[in-house]
Amino acid sequence: MQDVRLRIGAAIVLSLAAFLSITGAFLVFIWWLVFTKRLQILKQFRLMVPLIVLMAFFSAIVELTGGGGLSYFFRMLVIVLIGMWVYQEQQSKEFLELAVWMFGDGAGFELGLLAEMGMQSLNLLVADFDRIRIAEKLKGIFWGVGSIVPTGLILVHGALSRADAAADILAVRGYHNGGTLCPEFRTTGTDIIGSLAAAGIFIITFLPVSEFFILYR
Amino acid sequence: MEVLTMKITMDSVRAIRGEWSLSARGTFSEGVHLISGNIGSGKSTLALLLSGLFSSFSGSIDMEGVTSVMVSFQFPESHITGLTLEEECTSWGLDPFTVLSSVKLYGKKELNPLKLSRGELKRLNLACVLGGQYDLLILDEPFSSLDVQEKERVCHDLSLRKKGITIIITHEQTLFPRVDHLWEIQNCELRYLGGMPEALGAWRHAPGIIKNLMAAGRTPCNISPEDLLEAACRT
Repeated sequence: MQDVRLRIGAAIVLSLAAFLSITGAFLVFIWWLVFTKRLQILKQFRLMVPLIVLMAFFSAIVELTGGGGLSYFFRMLVIVLIGMWVYQEQQSKEFLELAVWMFGDGAGFELGLLAEMGMQSLNLLVADFDRIRIAEKLKGIFWGVGSIVPTGLILVHGALSRADAAADILAVRGYHNGGTLCPEFRTTGTDIIGSLAAAGIFIITFLPVSEFFILYR
Repeated sequence: MEVLTMKITMDSVRAIRGEWSLSARGTFSEGVHLISGNIGSGKSTLALLLSGLFSSFSGSIDMEGVTSVMVSFQFPESHITGLTLEEECTSWGLDPFTVLSSVKLYGKKELNPLKLSRGELKRLNLACVLGGQYDLLILDEPFSSLDVQEKERVCHDLSLRKKGITIIITHEQTLFPRVDHLWEIQNCELRYLGGMPEALGAWRHAPGIIKNLMAAGRTPCNISPEDLLEAACRT
């Protein structure tokens, strides 16, 4: 999906649909199979692993304490897949264009810049994590539970240092607030079909199943 | 007891990064090898390739008798896994007091390594790398971010390494340790120029001082400052 407005809109309604019911989650999963580049998303599977482990943990607790854990796990898994799709499709400058289109050159530009910096930071965190893993491999350190805390702290420290540097650079270059930008979007036929399908799933999720069969009563 | 000879043989290797590729063939035997090349010529890719950290290549790389490998990356931040200088030394399996004292950083042992200057961090990283015993040691731009004194110290420490294969990959033009073999990356291809001093004549990236000495008919025996001084003062 090339138009970021439709992509984000679709992601929001699909996430809501998946969260609200198991039927919705199932339909969203089908949508994900049809409208996304599944293989490319699954190549980034290692990014999903920590989230899946965390979800599995909480789902197990929910299942053991009151039931419904499996449904929760499936619904959350589908939401993660949608999130990964948004992350994988995201192009540089898109959030800035989207925010300026939505909220204008003042607050929109600020929000967009913040989102762009956040995405850049996320990419750098992934690169940092890979770097730490290579360094540990070279040093003969076995990756385990003991590595989680120091790795996390190094990642956080690196991210904060970069944020500090970015703030300094913006200040040095005279950035105060807001900015001007003429957003440009490209909408394809697949974008429209995918968005309509997402909207359809959202509506179906909210309607009771019996409403569909009203003609047959 | 049979002593195994160490060597790395590259046969029709081609490392691929998108549209760009680097070809390499030849054998790295025991001793110090210097690989020079321009910035962006593929030196770091070669370092990753030889250390087994780059998988996008065709051809074969055979390692004989090499049981331990270490690569020192150009950017010292790439090696940090500890939260303090002390922890960082320990993560290398080294005694923090010995290492930190040798690079005059013991007073900062509680400091986060990322708070050090690039030069200090490079100094610490090289001390840790050179503090271990590895069959294959690859140093990617070991002299970057270092002042002349530190470059001299690194050259001295490298001269103490008597065993194994040492590969120095650099575009350095001022200070070198004494080396046994010379290689060059030119037009996306790694070429073996030969042993010392025969290889000097074919060395396109040779520093000006070496080119001038050669032009004057005073071929140095090697490329360390002492060898260049000897050649310059030769009567």
